[in-house]
Parts: sequence; C-alpha cells; structure tokens
Amino acid sequence: MISCTDTSRNETFFGKTVPPERNILRYVTGDEPESLDPAISTGQPEARIYMALYDGLVDYDGKTLAPNPALAETWEVNNDSSELTFHLRHNGRWSNGDPIDANDFVYTFRRALSKELASRNAYLAYYIKNAQAYNSGMVFVRDQQTGKFLLAKDFSNEDANEPVSLKPIAPGTAEYPTSAQRSTPAADSGFHQEMHSPLRLVLPGDEKKRNDRLNQDAKLKSAVAGKEFVPVRAEDIGVEAVDNYTLRISLVQPAPFFTGLLAHQVFRLVNRKTVEQYGNRWTEPNHIVTCGPFKVKTWKPYDTLVVERDPMYWDAATVKLDEIHFYPMADNPSIMNLYKVGEVDAVLNHTVPNAWLETVRTKKDYMDGSEAAIDFLQINVTRPPMNDVRVRKAFNFAIDKEAWAKWRKIVKPLTAFTPEGIFQGYPQPKGDQFNPERARQLLGEAGFPVTKNSDGSFSCPKFPVDKVEYIYNTQESNKAMAEWMQAQWKQNLGVTISLRNMEWKTFLETRSKLDYSGFSRSAWSADYMDPFTFLSLFYTGGESGTGWLDPKYVAMLDEANRMLDPKKRYELLAQAEKYMIDNQPVIPIDTSAVNWVKKPYVKGMYPNPGSLFPWKYVYIERDRAKWDMTAPSLNEELSAQR
Amino acid sequence: MVRFIIRRLLITIPTILVVITITWALVRLAPGNFYSGEKKLPAAIEKNIREKYGLDKPWYQQYGRMMWAIIGHRDFGTSLKYEGQSVNSIIFRSLPISAAVGLLAYVLALVVGITAGSIAALKQNSKWDHSSMALAMLGISVPNFVLGPILVLVFSLSLYWLPPSRWGGFPSRNLILPVITLAAVYMAYIARLTRAGMLEVLRSDYIRTARAKGLSETQVVVRHALRGGLMPVVSYTGPALAFLLTGTVVVERIFALPGLGNYFIQASLNRDEPLIIGIVAFIAITLLLMNLVVDVAYAFLDPRVRY
Amino acid sequence: MDLESEKRELTEAEDHIESRLNPVDPDMLHVGQEMAVAEGDVDPGPQHEFVRGTSLWQDAWRRLLRNKLAVFGLVVVVLVTIISVAGPTVIKRTLGFTPDYIPSNDPRLVKSFPPFTGPNGEFSWTHPMGTDNAGRDQLARVMQGGQISLFVGIIATLVSLLIGVTYGAVAGYAGGRVDDVMMRFVDVLYSLPYVIVVIVLLSMFRSQTARGQLILLFISLGSVSWLTMARIVRGQVLSLKNQEFVLAARATGVSNTKIVFRHLVPNTLGPVIVYATLTIPQIMLTEAFLSYLGFGVQAPLASWGSLAADGVQNIAIFPWQLIFPGVTMALTLFSLNFLGDGLRDALDPQMRTV
Repeated sequence: MISCTDTSRNETFFGKTVPPERNILRYVTGDEPESLDPAISTGQPEARIYMALYDGLVDYDGKTLAPNPALAETWEVNNDSSELTFHLRHNGRWSNGDPIDANDFVYTFRRALSKELASRNAYLAYYIKNAQAYNSGMVFVRDQQTGKFLLAKDFSNEDANEPVSLKPIAPGTAEYPTSAQRSTPAADSGFHQEMHSPLRLVLPGDEKKRNDRLNQDAKLKSAVAGKEFVPVRAEDIGVEAVDNYTLRISLVQPAPFFTGLLAHQVFRLVNRKTVEQYGNRWTEPNHIVTCGPFKVKTWKPYDTLVVERDPMYWDAATVKLDEIHFYPMADNPSIMNLYKVGEVDAVLNHTVPNAWLETVRTKKDYMDGSEAAIDFLQINVTRPPMNDVRVRKAFNFAIDKEAWAKWRKIVKPLTAFTPEGIFQGYPQPKGDQFNPERARQLLGEAGFPVTKNSDGSFSCPKFPVDKVEYIYNTQESNKAMAEWMQAQWKQNLGVTISLRNMEWKTFLETRSKLDYSGFSRSAWSADYMDPFTFLSLFYTGGESGTGWLDPKYVAMLDEANRMLDPKKRYELLAQAEKYMIDNQPVIPIDTSAVNWVKKPYVKGMYPNPGSLFPWKYVYIERDRAKWDMTAPSLNEELSAQR
Repeated sequence: MVRFIIRRLLITIPTILVVITITWALVRLAPGNFYSGEKKLPAAIEKNIREKYGLDKPWYQQYGRMMWAIIGHRDFGTSLKYEGQSVNSIIFRSLPISAAVGLLAYVLALVVGITAGSIAALKQNSKWDHSSMALAMLGISVPNFVLGPILVLVFSLSLYWLPPSRWGGFPSRNLILPVITLAAVYMAYIARLTRAGMLEVLRSDYIRTARAKGLSETQVVVRHALRGGLMPVVSYTGPALAFLLTGTVVVERIFALPGLGNYFIQASLNRDEPLIIGIVAFIAITLLLMNLVVDVAYAFLDPRVRY
Repeated sequence: MDLESEKRELTEAEDHIESRLNPVDPDMLHVGQEMAVAEGDVDPGPQHEFVRGTSLWQDAWRRLLRNKLAVFGLVVVVLVTIISVAGPTVIKRTLGFTPDYIPSNDPRLVKSFPPFTGPNGEFSWTHPMGTDNAGRDQLARVMQGGQISLFVGIIATLVSLLIGVTYGAVAGYAGGRVDDVMMRFVDVLYSLPYVIVVIVLLSMFRSQTARGQLILLFISLGSVSWLTMARIVRGQVLSLKNQEFVLAARATGVSNTKIVFRHLVPNTLGPVIVYATLTIPQIMLTEAFLSYLGFGVQAPLASWGSLAADGVQNIAIFPWQLIFPGVTMALTLFSLNFLGDGLRDALDPQMRTV
C-alpha cells in the first residue's frame, strides 16, 4: 500500500528511522499535563515528566520497577515493615545549587497531605501515621486536665493487633534487623517515642459531621464530653528528620510494599523556598526549581515541554541525553502517524490501535510485554437482578475470555483480579473458566430460565433486560469491547444487554455514584508493584464502583499485611483474592500488554510493566550495529549502565 | 456614521454579557465535574477540592463573583483543569497560532480565489471558466476534515515531505498543510464571488466606456473592474471570519495545533467553565468588532452607502 | 416629521447594507439584493407575475432542465437518497448482512479489508467499499450514514425554514418599530459565534438515545441557519406588501395572519426554495463536522461525519475507511450545490450566466 524504496524507510521498522540530529529524545507523553507540581496529578502522562524533573528517596528500576536508591543511599525497614529509616546522600542538590537534606522530605510530605493543596494522590500516603487524619482535617480529643489524648483502640471493636511502629519501644529490643550496615540512631527523639504510641482517636473536624458521629455512639459521646478538640497538624504526621541526612517514617500498619510506593511522584521533592515564595505559580518556567536529572528549559502547554540536563543533579555524570522534548498528545492514530514520519522517537504505552496491530506487531520496533494493569467489568451489586450472585456468576461464565484475548491480540485472559505474571512468586488464584452451559444453568436457578431455539440460538424472556445495561466511556476501543461482550451474552445466554456510552467525566460520576444498573467497563493500573494495589480497590466501599464491601475480605487483607514473611503474606493475599472473586462483584476480562513503539536507536528504555522510565539511563545510539533490533529484554544483565 | 458606530458598540456590551450568561448556564446545567479521575476520591479530598475552587457556595454567589471579575477586572479566572494558568494567559498564548493559520489561509484564499474568479469572469463560458468553477464547487463540497487527512496521507505519510501534525513555530513546514486545508473552502467561495461580482461589473456602462476609450484590457480590469467586482468579496469578509473560526476548530483538531479552537474543544470536553466562558466571550467580542470594522470599511469603499 | 424620515432613511440604508454585507452564498447576492430591496424601489420581476402566460413554475422547470449541471445534481441527489434509504434492505436480502453486522464468529473476518477483497486477498464482490475494523461492510455503513446525514439535513432545514419564514414574514409585514427590533435581534444573532455556543450546548447535553441526539441536532442546526432565511423572506414581504392584491385583501377585511400566511408567504416560495436547497448542504456539512468532533451523532448511530471521523483514525494503513464516506459526502454536497445553483438560475433569469 504505502511502499517505498528509500533506505531510511526500511520495512523492518514502522516508518522512517533516522536518529535526530541533536542528542535529544522526542517522546509523546499522553494528555497535556495538568501541572508540573508532582503532588497534584494522578495520571501516568504526568508521572513520566515528573520522573525527569524530580527525584525522591527511591526511583523505579527501568526493568522491574523495584525501588532503587535515589536520594536515599540506604535504608532499613523494621521487623514488621511498619517503620522505615532512610539514610540520605550528602551530595543531593536542587537545580539552583542548594543542598538537599531530610527537612526537604519532611516539608514535601507534609505539603502533599495538606488540605489546601487538595492533592488527589494524598491517599497513597495514608499509610503514614496520622496522615489521613491530617489530610481530612480531623481533630484529636484531649482531656484538658490530664493533657492525655483519647485513644482509638478504646473505641473500636477490632482486635488490638498493633504493629511494632505503634507499640512503645521496649528497652533492649531491636526494632530493626541487626544486619543493617548503618545503625539506626541510638539517641531516640521525643517525636519518635511519641510515634511509638497507640493511635489517637480522631473525629471529623467539621462540627456537624462530628456531632452526627457522636450521636451514633453513646459511649463515644460521653467519653468526649468536656474535652477539647485539637486539630491534627502537619507536625503530627509520622515523618521525622532525625538529623539532616536521616529520615524516619512511621506507618499505621505493616506495609511491606511501602518502599516501592515511595518512588511515586507525590513523594518526590518540591523546593520549599520556591513554593513559599510563588504560591501556586511556582511551576512557571522562570520560577521552578527541580531536583531530578533534568530541569525545565521551555514549556509551551499543548505543544512541547523541553527539559535539559541538570548539571547540579547528584548523578549528572550518568545522564546521557542533552534534552528531552515531551509532546503531549492523546490521539493514538496521530501519535502513530508522527512516529511513522519520524517526528518522534518513542511513544507512551497503549498507543498502537488494535486495528494496526497486525501490521505494526511484525515490525522490530514494537514493544510488547505484560502490564501491571487489568481490564474488567464492574457490576453494581446493589441493584437487582445483579444483587444475586448466581446471576453475576452466570454472566461471568458466559464470556469466552480466551476468544477475547485472541481477538484483541495483545492481552491475556484474566479470571482473577491481579494481573497475570507480574508479581513474582504470587500464587494467583484461578477464577471461573468459560462455561456457557453452567452459565445458563445458573441463570435458570436464579429464576431466569434460558431456552434453546430451533435455530440453535438461546433466549431468556424472563430476564429483565430493561433493568440492565452496560456503560462505558466514549472511545473506539471501549465501543468495540462493549459490542463484543454484548454479542457474547446474546450468543450464550440469549440476553441482549443494551449499551450506553457517555463522556468521560459523566461516566466517572455515574459509576462512583452507583447510578447505573448492570455492568460498567473499567480498568486499573498499579500504583506500586504489589498485589495489594489491586486488591485494595475493595478495601473500602466507595472506590470500587460496585457497592460490594465485605468486612471478612477487609479482615483477610489486614491479616495478610500483618505477615512478616513475604511468602505467607502472598498466600493470604491470594486467599483474599479468591474470596473476592468467588463473590463476583466484577467480571475480570484481561491483563493488558504494554503495546508501544520506540525507534531502534533509542536505548535504555525497557517495556516494563508500568511504562515508567528512569530517564537518566536513556541515550541515542548512532552506531547502527548497536541498535535494538527487537524489544529489549527485561532480563538482560545490566551492563555499563550502573 | 459616528452614531452608527456608537449604536453598534452599545449593543455589543449587553450582547456579550448575555452570551456569557447563557454559556455559564449551559455549563452548570450539565452533569459531571472537572476533577473526577479514574479512582473515586475519598470524600475528604473531594471536599478539599470543592472548597479550593469555591464550588461549595450557592450558585448565584458564584455567578455574581464571576461577573464581577469579568466586568470589573476583565479577569476570566483560572482554568479549572490546568493548575495555575489563567484563562487570559491561555487565550493570549493560543490566539497568535489561530490567527496565524487563519490569516494565512485567508490571504492564500484571496490571492488564488480572486485571480481564478477574475479570469473566469473575463473568459466567461470558456473551458477555464467551467473547470475553475467546477473546482470551486468541489472546494465548497469537500469537507475540510476529509481534505485535510487526504493531504496528510499523500504528502506526509506516504512521501514523508511534511509533518502530519503539530505546531512547529512560525514560520515552519508545519503550517503548509493546515493552511491549505483551511483555505480551500474560502478559495472556492471567493472565486465564485469574484466571478459573480466581476461579471456584473463587466456588463456595466462605465466599463464599456473605458473600453471604448481605448484602454487596454489589463487597465480596464485592474483599474476599473476590479474595484467594483471585489465588493462582494469585501462584504463577505464579515461572515467569512465567523466561518474561518469554526473551520479553524476542525483544522486545529486534525493537525493538533495549540490554537484557540483546540483549547475550546478541550475545555468543552473538560467542563472547564472559566476557560469555556473566556474563549466564547473572546470570540464573540472579536466577531462583533470585526463585523463593525467591515461595515465601516464598506462605507468607505462604496460611496452609495451612507450611515 | 423630519425625524421620522431621517430614521427611515437610516433604516433603508442599513437594510441595504445588511443585505449586501451578509450574503451566505455569493450568487445569492442577487437574489438577496432583489429580495431585500428598500421600500419604494420595487421591481417585482417575472416571478411575481403569476397571472400571465405559462405558470412561473413550468417556466422555471423548463429552464432548470436545460441546465445540464443542475440536472446532473438532481439526478445524483435523488439516486443517493434512494440508495441510502433502500440500499441496506437490498443488501440484507441479497448478501445477508445489515450495516452493523459484525462477523464475530469468524475472527478472520473481523478486520478491515480493502475494497473488493476477500478474506484471503482474492477478488470478491461482497465488499465493494471494503470493511471497517470490526468487519462491517462499508457500503452498507455509508448508506446508513447517508440516511442520517440526509435526514438531519432535510429536517434541520425544514426547522430553519419554519422559524425563518415565519419570523421574516411577520417582521416584514409588521414593519416599523416591530420590524426594526426584530431585525436588530437578527443582526445581533448573526454576528455571534453561533456554532461555538452550539458546541457548548451539545457537549453539555449529550443524549444517550438516538432520538435525543437527533432532536438536539435538529434544534441546534436549525437554529443556526434561520437567520438569512428570515432576512430573505422579510425583504420579499417588504417588497410585496404594498402590491395591489395585498391592499385588496386588506380592504376586504382579511385578517392579518391570513394575509401573511396565505398570500404573502406563498409568493416568497421561489427564493425560499432556492435558499433551502442551498441550506441543506451547509447543514449537512455542519452536522458532519460536529459529528467528526464528537458532538453530533454518537455510536451506534452513524452519519457521514462520524464515519469520516472513524475512518481518519486509520488513514495511515486503511485509507479507504475515510475515502469512501468522504467522497460520497462530497459528491452529494456537490450535487446539492449544483441543484441549488440551477434552481436559482431557473427562478431568476437575470442571473443566467451559463
């Protein structure tokens, strides 16, 4: 169709492959970034930019996404993963030359959790003691005479199974494993001792909400009477600068995955002086101060963000590229067109449209690999007929996920809830396989018998199709998926579910308000590399968009997180996952693949499960012999990069 | 004349305010809000966001505050979706791009259209006339969102001569395809207008006189006929600007140009209220003022017209 | 007295300007000029002499038929309409599939084939326009798209006709201050970025049902184009209202409403028809680009605009997905424009240039 004989347009790769003249990388990030403030945005497009501009305690490994030392050289985790101590390097610098120390981290964490900032990522930090209370504007309850605060455990029904971080430090016991090369500070600060006490009771800061809560619990109300309410302050958060280069974080529960979480952008440093001086205009190119391998050169919104190498960066010697040009674009075909003509060198994940796969996948610059993300259908379990688990299971049995994976070509069928093959050593449970017979049987048991017609098709006249719909946000791939699912249910159950698409924001609102009856298309990608980031969707009722909340499941998750042995923890998590899947509040569909392209002369970028790249290791290879003739393996031994 | 101008200006102000009010009402009545993400936000965070943007006050207070800021300080506020960027700065930044593409397109359309139309009129009923008018009709009939991608297919994706999208600064190769795509319709309209106007003028007495006087054909055309024949083109400028605007929206979308039109579409999709209102108000003001300028210019060109 | 005449002069001059300044189509200029002529300067021209000789319509029809391009336009438009309306049924009967049929049982077929190509690359008559990404037959989809595009075009034009004719006739007949105010309103609306507000409206009130979307489109598209129709009708009415037949009707006590709608409006039919025929392609174009941007019809409804939007996505590897709906649309608009031109020529012999 579009064949040509120019040597720069060889058929091995998709389109023109000529390295840029200058030592720069041109990368499409996705939607226009909301802000250059790393605490604000939740999206992946922004995450990649933040990784270039800002550094944190740890950084993502380019192949495994495990936490690698960044501004923290070493760290220790206490015996039950409820407290961490980080030893910072001494040569960290801001882009303006100022030194970086532990106080910068304290400031950053406190700011990220402040109410005024209204960061949408704040919830990631809720594992830190008093973080949620501070972010929600809650208050402690203090007895004015004794000065003592009321404790949460006195008013809850749960077993007191407190993590080590909340227990007073018994003299002589080692809180941390003794293998650490650097010892944890012997002199204990008052703050640390304060952290090692049981959680305080918190109540809503808003008076009306508080009174509502008190009125519900007579014991609470009487205990609170006559006491004063002390607002939770930023200083109460469990983050401490023990000295200028030591940072200690106290958690409310054991969280073995927490170190990996700290690579997230919300925990990356922002410069206190700049923020205090310029307020919410601090990210403007002539004000902004950063601490990552690159700094802002020019920013034309909707056009290009150009970042250049920062000579002040502590690891500037490793940084290979002179500049990165980030192009904010969200339309996949346009992105692919730019790539084909050679105007960009690499693109973000999920860019190759399904219809193009057959052509593009055969090219050597196609990046394949499993992603830490899943596609699934949420079910609103609060509305009939979906409140009957048999009906839900019937619809799950009626979908042939293998066929779906074949059609989509780049996904793997999913029967449980965590993405397949991502978490090493995790015994992922198996959900139900495709079984249309069983599906029809279950549906019949639930009161909606399925009859077979003379031409082999099925019908189910009793099923209330007017009460059930499938909603999705408007996009070609979602539409194709919806139509496919609809066809499956029609074919296997004889039920025609109506489809309804809506614009993204309306869709989110409808879903979170549980304003729909039936199914909703959904997807989830990992915030950090641990199964809990998926399973925690059902930890509280509001996040899942299904209305399913089971205290038993929550207890199972809590118990798993208390385990010190990672293997045992994984087992318990898998059991919880199986329990959740058996209750079928969702229909799992597939594990995504990363699905992007990069030119063969771009080296140091790997198709890892999160599509997050530590930019300092990326470079342009001008020697054709050394080009990546296929997708670089994630298992390749690290060579001269470290 | 002055009375006319003043009258028009006086009508402009309440009109703009009405437009703003209607737009604001439309945005408020729609379901959905701008800060939703894929994960449902804990109630406390949502509350923080609503407080931060003043969304928790009653609607009339919000309306009043907005109108006061607009009328009193010409301040359209800050974009809801894009932190820290004021609406005024966004408009200021994106306007030159839309203006550059639009003006270049119009100039191209004028040059090509007037030339083609004049020649068609002079050689009426010839092959040139028929073919150029048919081509013009084609230009009006092929939508810009069909023409644009086809140009991209040929000159970018197949021949690799030009970039398929994005803004490359001014001037750059990136301008070529968007300008041609946008200009196509107007080239066609202007060619037809010119031809019609010229035909009418060429039949008139004073042209016969000029020819009888022995002036060369070129002189007849350029010195006499063109002035009268171009009247319809001038008067078309007013609505042309309006259409150019809507055409720009599609072209900016196709070629991913960071112009006013693209921002407008994004703002509509994001329910970014201050940005929507700011752009709509800006466009309305521009159109009204430009129409006024065209009307006044017309009075200077055509002495028969009196205000 | 003096003030009155000065004011009238101003109004006349402004009318004159307005009509000159805002033609929607270049050649409508002349019809517009004719129509919006200032008071007292009436030369009705042959189309108003409906009493003498052969009927005006027969004359016009004959003139139209002599115009080859217009006939071509008429034929194509009629053909396209018939094919769009009846086509899908024919295809269903002969080939067995509907426009939205996805051959999901055979994964080999669920992809985009070039025109006249079968599953193994061989020549095949089944899909003359190829298939889209889901394996749906393009020809059937283009036909279905045509149904919606034409339907929206015609109905929205009728809406704008209704509003415009009524408004213009009332304004023209009422005259004086009422006319003044009404036309001021039109002027103001004319200079507003209408389509922009329509986009805001459509983006805020997306409807889920097909009916809802279509109704939204009719209203918003119809309300964009009634302005010039109103101007034209007003001008016509202005020039007609002092004719003898009107005076006679008034003298015999016919009510004003009847005069406007039974006597005056039918005599404006000529330019109204011409303008309506020229409005249809404009509205279709507007609907198409609104659908292209995502504000018009939504899936599963398809119009040529939304088909083009779908097709442009894959233009790098499957160009036929854009080319066929695009060319079909261009051809239809082309023909409608020629037809409109021809009608205008037929009804206004002064303008004949072919």
